Amino acid sequence: MNFIKRIFTGMKQDEEPESSVTAEEKTEEKEIVTSPVIEKASQPETEPSFPDVRRVLQIPVISEGIFPENSDEILIKAQPSPTGDQCLFTVNRSLMTGHSWYFADFESAAGSSLAERLFSLEDVETVLVCECTVTITRKDKTLVDWAPLAKEVGTAIRETIQEGESLISEKIIADLPTEEEVREGIQKVIDIEVNPGVAGHGGNISLLAVRGNSVTIQMGGGCQGCSAADLTLKQGIHTSFRTAVPKVGAIFDETDHTAGLNPFFS
Amino acid sequence: MPKVNTFKVSVQTGPQGMSEPVHFNFNNHNMPFENVTGSAEAGKTFEGSFEVNSFAHSLTLIGPKSGKWGIEKITVEYDCEGEKPYTVQFGGVNLDEATEVNIWQDPPVLAFDV
Repeated sequence: MNFIKRIFTGMKQDEEPESSVTAEEKTEEKEIVTSPVIEKASQPETEPSFPDVRRVLQIPVISEGIFPENSDEILIKAQPSPTGDQCLFTVNRSLMTGHSWYFADFESAAGSSLAERLFSLEDVETVLVCECTVTITRKDKTLVDWAPLAKEVGTAIRETIQEGESLISEKIIADLPTEEEVREGIQKVIDIEVNPGVAGHGGNISLLAVRGNSVTIQMGGGCQGCSAADLTLKQGIHTSFRTAVPKVGAIFDETDHTAGLNPFFS
Repeated sequence: MPKVNTFKVSVQTGPQGMSEPVHFNFNNHNMPFENVTGSAEAGKTFEGSFEVNSFAHSLTLIGPKSGKWGIEKITVEYDCEGEKPYTVQFGGVNLDEATEVNIWQDPPVLAFDV
């Protein structure tokens, strides 16, 4: 047990164990104390007992507001993704109500003052505007420190809002697709392109919801819990969706990749 | 998956309470809470904590062995090694003999003002 304890706690071999014990040890101790010897001896040895498998429920986290209410100031928070490939900027006011828009390059930003300004920054690769957020990917994938670029992006967002011009071009707003158009297009590409592609790995993709032109998907089967799911999502699914339905905006993944006992192999 | 030093829960029960001891499941180990105050009876608040000193793969609150437990709110305070202590609030859930609810949340991703 000391060996296991060392593994879990990083303790060296010659170190004395601390008074506190691990959860695993406490379980064992409790079993020893609470199980009378006579009862243990009387149990049939051929019948191993297994723990009850219960269904694990997921419930929403109640998030508190990240900004003080009723602030006249333009407040912006930057939140780099855990993988460092993109950074989410949340603003304390709406940038595009009810819809989202993906700017793949500088040319696509024509007439949209916010995206034009952001693409003028050297390292900005793509821009996604959704409700009160902006998601940026950068050209230089080797840089992990977002702080310098994030400050420039924050300044650009703040100044563009203060200038008062329309953040998204009127042409884009006028040509926004209906939810039904988005749903049909995305479902079609899932059925004829994406799902046949991931089926070879035992995976499947479901369209959960469409709101405005933003879609929410869920990865199931072999995709759920797979270590390559992020790559599949960003390089496979995003590309397929945006090629088939160019006016699709944000693509959210609601898969819980930690759920289940052994999701990839089940 | 950080190493959890201790965690403390506060469970606010709604009109559907239960009288069994409250257990949690850490990395598939079913455990009772320590330092327990209050109860899981209707309208009451249960508080308990545990000194874990192990790496978190899963952490759930287990439903009663019989009957139902209607939870209005769960607040969990985590103290993990190398992380600033953080608190997460979960919404309501109904538990029974076949269910448990996930109460593990990774430390929050760093966000900063720009």
